[in-house]
Order: sequence, then structure tokens, then C-alpha cells
Amino acid sequence: MDKTAKGLSRRTVLSGAAAVGLAGVARAQAPGEIKVGLIVPLSGIYTRPGQVMKMGAEMGIEHINAQGGIKALGGAKLKLVVIDCGDTTEKAKNAAQRIVAQEPDLVAATGSYLSSFTLAVTEVTERAELPVLTLSYSDLLTDRGFKYIFQTAATASRQSELGLPTLMKLAENASGKKPKTVAMLMDNTATSVATAKALKEKLFAQEGLQLVVEEVWTPPLSDATPLIQKVRSAKPDLLLFMPNAVSDAKLGLEKISEFGLGQGKIPTVSFSITIAEPDMLQSVSPETVQGIMTIVANWGSKGHEALIAELKAKYKEPWMTQNVISTYGDMWLMKEALEKAGKADRNAVAQAFRTMDAGPSKYYPGGQLKFDEKGRRVDAGVVIVQWQSGAPVTVYPPELAQAQPFWPKKP
Amino acid sequence: MLRMRSLLPPLLFTLAYAGISLGVTNSYYQLILTLVPVWAVFGLSWNLLSGYTGLISFGHAAFFGIGAYATALGQIYFNISPWLLIPIAAMLGGIAGLLIGFPTFRLQGHYFALAMLAYPLAILYVFEWLGFQEVTLPIKRDAPIAYMQFSDPHIYTLLGLAIMLATIVLTQMIERSRFGMALLAIKQNEAAAEAAGINTLAWKLRAITLSGAIAAAIGGFYAQVLLVVTPQSVFGMLVSAQALTVAMFGGVGTVWGPVIGSVILIPLAEILHAEAGARIPGIQGVIFGIAIVCVILLAPEGLFWKLRDLLRKRTASKAAVSDIAEAAAANVTALKPASRQRGATGEVVLEVKNLSRSFGGLKAVQDVSFKLHKNEILGIIGPNGAGKTTLFNLLNGFLKPSQGEVLIDGRNMSGQRPHVICEAGVGRTFQVMRPFLRMSILDNVVVGAYVRARTDDEARKMAADAVARVGLSAVADRVAGELSTKELRLMELARAIAGQPRILLLDETLAGLGHGEADEVVAVIQQLARDGITIAIIEHTMQAMVRLVDRFLVLDHGAVITEGLPEVVTRDNRVIEAYLGKKWVGHAAN
Repeated sequence: MDKTAKGLSRRTVLSGAAAVGLAGVARAQAPGEIKVGLIVPLSGIYTRPGQVMKMGAEMGIEHINAQGGIKALGGAKLKLVVIDCGDTTEKAKNAAQRIVAQEPDLVAATGSYLSSFTLAVTEVTERAELPVLTLSYSDLLTDRGFKYIFQTAATASRQSELGLPTLMKLAENASGKKPKTVAMLMDNTATSVATAKALKEKLFAQEGLQLVVEEVWTPPLSDATPLIQKVRSAKPDLLLFMPNAVSDAKLGLEKISEFGLGQGKIPTVSFSITIAEPDMLQSVSPETVQGIMTIVANWGSKGHEALIAELKAKYKEPWMTQNVISTYGDMWLMKEALEKAGKADRNAVAQAFRTMDAGPSKYYPGGQLKFDEKGRRVDAGVVIVQWQSGAPVTVYPPELAQAQPFWPKKP
Repeated sequence: MLRMRSLLPPLLFTLAYAGISLGVTNSYYQLILTLVPVWAVFGLSWNLLSGYTGLISFGHAAFFGIGAYATALGQIYFNISPWLLIPIAAMLGGIAGLLIGFPTFRLQGHYFALAMLAYPLAILYVFEWLGFQEVTLPIKRDAPIAYMQFSDPHIYTLLGLAIMLATIVLTQMIERSRFGMALLAIKQNEAAAEAAGINTLAWKLRAITLSGAIAAAIGGFYAQVLLVVTPQSVFGMLVSAQALTVAMFGGVGTVWGPVIGSVILIPLAEILHAEAGARIPGIQGVIFGIAIVCVILLAPEGLFWKLRDLLRKRTASKAAVSDIAEAAAANVTALKPASRQRGATGEVVLEVKNLSRSFGGLKAVQDVSFKLHKNEILGIIGPNGAGKTTLFNLLNGFLKPSQGEVLIDGRNMSGQRPHVICEAGVGRTFQVMRPFLRMSILDNVVVGAYVRARTDDEARKMAADAVARVGLSAVADRVAGELSTKELRLMELARAIAGQPRILLLDETLAGLGHGEADEVVAVIQQLARDGITIAIIEHTMQAMVRLVDRFLVLDHGAVITEGLPEVVTRDNRVIEAYLGKKWVGHAAN
């Protein structure tokens, strides 16, 4: 925001409801500048993912502008408008309303980490006809018949559909036999519940897996002992451990290690990025997490080395999680759409997303830069990440793999 | 006339607010304008229960969430319009209130507050378990108005305003009626309220039912505004806290409190979020918190009361001089010599047979029997711990006797609830006074009249009459907080007789009074007896009692020592021994 715009908006807001008539005022804008939005949590308990998404967006904008901006618009530069969507659905909705009311020249936006927030945000942006890219993967997001939401990640149900068979194949290749029994420990958040539903209703049977232990907890987990005890006595071939809070993950993994089930004695798999967050290393040792795998929608992988190095140098992030790489990719996707639309207009950009067919995607796993009629990216894939020597590295799909997967064997 | 005058401010406020809203074109500000009445109504619903009864609910999100989910799920699964679903939500909220209230009202004070906290948290997990982590309202492009989906955001604000106006008017009506008086009486002293003939459980259940219904209705409307419902956003701790915050900030126990709180806090939070939060994310919470702490420190009962007190002080200081003169003149009619017929021979109105009550090993009252004759004044005396107050508590139903019977007009009433005994014609006052300090004397007294009165007007008339009988008419409009101990005692007396009891139990009515003051109160009591009320009075100070009573009943260690005329009893060695100890018996004989 340039200085005039900033000053003006502050005054309007402070003068409160009485002076509201002023709000629609058109703002002075530097020539050749196109605004794109980032609606993410920057306060409250989801601040950290919001921050790393912001890093991805900033890097993306910087790279695009350094490479000549939007060529179809005479080299116009992209400008990022960041708005904090807070830690509740109400705050997210208010933030979205604010961004559409006060940034009328915004052409596209991305956000908002938690699918509940994305749901609320897109209820507003849909009505304002603002196209929104999202890395949230709840199926519901693109099941509402909305025309202005574009989901770059595979949906939750699709991720388990893709992930589990791949995992089984991996196990078979590495250890020579297919796992037969599985234990599932999960929290009761929306993501875990959706994933578990797909697993239990369809995928376990399809893969010939027998569910021997199933335990659900409500975060925060206070004591993992009873959970892990059940796993130890059942001795499953595979453990699905699905926490969504770093503290829960830590408690569970420490207990697994304490009971002597760690380091792959029972191969452990997760379904979210929580278990591969950099924060994990602050609370558990690299040995505790060694060998653990997780199935995620996106990850910094082969081909992203320069980016990862830049992220490390600039923001001190040890590796590139889904939040960074997807948001970075979103900026390029917006650029693509702007080039195609040929004008800085949100409806034209939305139409460009709908009709886009830009070939294989560079910053999302698998599939094309193309959206189906629901707004889901065509053939969006998953990434399997494994902790190896203190860092989570991509081990699948092979074209993105940074290292070979190893399947821990029962001693 | 009174009705119109009370209707005018909310009407004007609503119109002004609607005017501002219509002038706002920015959709973000409009959304904030919509959320203000939403949280105001939620605060009002909380106020209806907790503000008036003093039973703090930390769990109003339970009702709010039920309303929100009912409205959302009804649309998704049954395709019902929210125009219909919001009233249905209100009904469900009312039922939930009843179901929650019934077991929870057994608890009091902090225990009630904590138990209430549990409900939304428990329901939250139920909804998560049911798989309703994220629910979105289906978009109805073909029939938006039938499904309350307006493209013009002004309409949401106007709808919210309409609900707020309705809630304000409803609250005002309740405030002035028997309902409101009963709730206020429960707040000041639940036991006293029961004793004044108020069926406290029934009124509390009505309050929580209505409160739940309002909260659920506004929850349903909130879902309609937010379009997305998650357990956290409608059942979460923050939601319950929101009701408390707006009400406590604006003022508890008044219809304007939650409205003031919401009008200030909701836009403030948003402005902070938009402005400060954009620069230092998270700082908005800190500023908001500090602002609330400061206001609570400066105005602990909320802005409304603070402003009203300031206003009153300004007007009061002018009128103070004339007021004092009037108050002095208002004192009780001069003490007349007792010309009353002693009634000890009349018919028996209350008979106690072998009444006992023990607390564990302690026999507080053992085997007490006596008769109260029509129109007599019975003094019940005894040293500290003799069981006098326990006896009263057994008589008016606070305690159930372990053994024995209490016959009122020949009917066994032992073990009945206090309000039932009150209805049977037994009024009582308390050793410790708990007047409602912000209410006028007349309003304090009206509470006692409802046990007999059929309408609000009749109750006011009876209360005015009772106030006149104790000689407080001239100061009837003063708030209780400005009264002296004597006046408070008289006011308590007025409340007890406002329900026109035939039997009056007075518990240390003379305690804390000076010599002259005690005489004035004694005169009032004598006058009441002359008017045909039968009185039993507990008292320590023998001097006043000897002149007042017809007969004494002396208790020690829970048992009757002796009974009889004052001049006989005061010379009884057993009485002197009980009061002063063995060695004084000899002295007294001399």
C-alpha cells in the first residue's frame, strides 16, 4: 500500500460507522501494479502456518516481479495485500469482507490454511466474484457449487485414496511383504475424521488390511500411555498416527519410543504435515522420528532446491512445507491467469483459471495446471515424506523424490 | 403512559441505528453493524437469566450453538427456510434451557457457573463426533429471499435490529412484571425470596427457558449471517465469554447494559483487528483485554450503572436538603400504650408438636412443642446457639424436621417448600438483611406482595399499603442503598407483611438498633399485632421484649426450658442460668 492509501484507510476505519460512506473511495494506485491477496491467520493459535504461507507468497511475488512482471500487461508488477484472518471463523469472514470492501481492485487471493476459515472466507469472496486459490483440502470446499474457488491440493478423501495404496506398494517393495494389520490412533478434528472415514469405509478392505486397534482422542492429548499400550499388545504391521497439534504428536511419538516401538519397529504413518513441521525437532530428538512417514498434499521436493536454499537463507526455515511451496506456486498460477486474461480484472482472471490448461504443474505434485468444473485441480497428486536423519524428505513420487524410502523391518 | 415512556428510548435507538446502517455502503462496515445487534441480543439473553437472578452462566453458547446448528442442518437436510427454522431453533433452545436448568438449579453460586460451563463443551464434542465439524449453508441462487440470503447486506442489519428491538421490549416488560421482580428477589436472597412466597425454582426455570430460546434464535440468525457453522464458532468458550463480556462491560441486570457493551466492544474489536492487527498481528487482543480490564476496574458493575450513579449524584445533591427534612418527618407514629387485648386465649393458628432436627450428632432442636394463639405476640428467647433460628427455619420450610409436626390452622405443613408455607399465610424476616440496594423501597416491598396479588397493579397497591403501615411512605421512592439500619428493618417488615400474612416470624428484627430506634420498630410491631397479625419474634434484648410480647418461649440447647408470661419467665432460675450461668442464679434471687 502506498502512503496515501494507507493513511486514508486508517482514517476511514477509525472514524467508525458514522463515516462509512467514505469507504468506497477509489484509491490512487501506482501505474502497472496489480494487487493479489493473502488471507491467512497471523494472530492466534494458527499464526505459524500463516507466517510461512506469507513467506511463500512474498518469495513468489519477488521472483515474478524480478522476471519482468506480467508481460501481457506491459510488465505490470504484482503487489501482495496481506490480511489477518485471525483464529475464528467469524474473524475470517470479517477479514474477507474487509478485503473485498476495501480492496476493490484485487484480482485474486489465496488462503486460508484451516479449511473452516477457507469455507467462511470463500462464502464472501464467491459473492464478491473474487477468485480464490486454496491449499485447504476439505472436500466440502469444492462441493458447494461455487464458481470462484480453485483447490490446488488433492481433496482429503482423494489423498487417502492415493496415499494408502502407494504406501502399501512402498512397504511391499522395501520389505518384501504386504502389511496385514493396522492400528489407527487419531484426534477428532475435521481432517482426521474425514481421512479415517475414507480409510475405514473403503480403503482398508481394498488393501486387505485388518484394523486391530482404533483409538480417538480430543486434543490436547494428556497422556498417550493407554493408546500406545494397546498398540504394543496388538503388534500391528502398520500404525497410522494422526495428530494435528505438535504437542500431541510429541507426546505420542515419545511414548512410542519409550515403549520400544520407535525407529520403525512398528512402521508409523501420518496423514498431515504436523508431524513433519520444523517445530517437531524442538520437542523430540531426530532418533524418535526417524523413519516416520506422512502423506501430504505438497512438499518442497526435487526440482525446488534453489527455492529451499533461498527459504533457508532468507527466513531460516530448515525445509519447505506444503504451506510455503503451495502459496509460492499460487503466485505463479495467478501470474499465469493474468497473462491469459490480458487484463487486471477479477472476473477475467476467474475465467482464465476455469479455462486454463497450462501443462504439468511445477509447484504442486502431479497433474496439470487445469481445473475441473468443481474447481479442483485435475489429477492433483500427493507426496509421501519420510523423516531421514533429522529432516523430512520427499520419497514419493519418484520424479519428486529427494531420497529413497526405507521400510523399517520388524527386528 | 408508563408503557409509552419506556418504549420510546429503544424505538429511537433502533431508528437511529437503522438510519446509520442505511447510510453505510461499505459491506465490511455493514457486516460489523449486523454483528452488533447479534451480540447485543445474545448478551440480553444472558442478562435475562444471569443478570437478573445473579446465577452466572458460563455456558450460554450451548443455546446459541443449538440454534445455529438447528438453522444450518434444517436447511441442509430438510430444505426448510430459515424464516421457519429460527423460530424452531428458539423452541429447541427453550427446551434445552428447561432440560439444562432442571438439574443445574440444584447448584448455587460458583458451582452453578461451573456446571453451566460444561454444557457447551460437552455438546461441542457431540457435534464433532456426529461429523459436523464444518457445516456450510447451501447457497440458494433461485430463491434467495425465501432462504434469507440477501445480496443487500443492509437487510441483515435491519433483521438483526428487529430481533434486538423485540428482545429489548420483552426484557423491559419482564423487568417491570412479577417475573422480573421474582428474578431480582432471587438475586438478592434466594432464601428470602422463597420465604416471601416466590416459587424460585419455577421462576428460574422460566427464565432459563426464555433465555435459552432467545439465545438459540439469535444463534440461528448468526449462522445465517456467517454462512459457515463449526462447533468452535458457536459452542466455543469464546462464544460464552462474548455474552458475559458485552453484558458486564455495559452493565449487568439492566436492559441497556448488553446493548451498550455490544455497541462499543464489537466495532472496537474489529477496528483494532483491522488497524493494529495489520501492523503487529495479535496486538489487538492485548489492547482489547487491557481496555476491558480498565473499564471493569473503574466501573465494576458496568458502564450503565456508573453513568446512572454519576447522573443521580448530580441531581441528588440539589434535592438532598429537602429530602432529609422529609425523611425525618416520615418517622413512625408515636408509641401508643398497649391497648391491645392479649390474645393468648384465642384460637390456635400454629401448633408445633414434638419438633426435632439434628445435624449429624448435634441436636439443634429437640422435641419442641408449643402453640401460637391468634393475635398474640410470642417472644422466643434463649442464649446464642439455643436453636431459635433453626426453629424458624423448620417452621417456614427451609429445613425439613427430622421428627414432629408443624400444624398451620390444623393442617400439617411440615416438610413443605417455603413458598408453599408462605402462601398458607406465614411471612418472615431475617436476622441478616439483604435488601436490593439499587431498587427503591417500594420495589423491594413489591416482591413480597406477589404471593397474594393477582396483577402487577394490585401488587403495587398492596406494597404501597405495607409501606404505609410501617411508616415509610414518605421515603418509598428512595433507593434502599441510602437507608439507615432502622429504615431497612422497617422495609423488611413491610416486605413480610405485603403478602398479608396471618402469622409473622420475626428473626432479630431489633438487632443493631439504638434505644430510640428500637422503640419505634417495637411500636410498628405492636400496631401490626393490633391489626390482627399473629407474631412470633426472636430477640436477644430482653428489655424491649418484655414490653412487647404477651408470652415467652425459652429455648436452650434446642429444647424448651419454660414458657409463660414475661414477668414469670424473667424470674425463672432456669432462664437466668441459661443466660448468665449458674453462679448468677443466687444473685438474681436477691
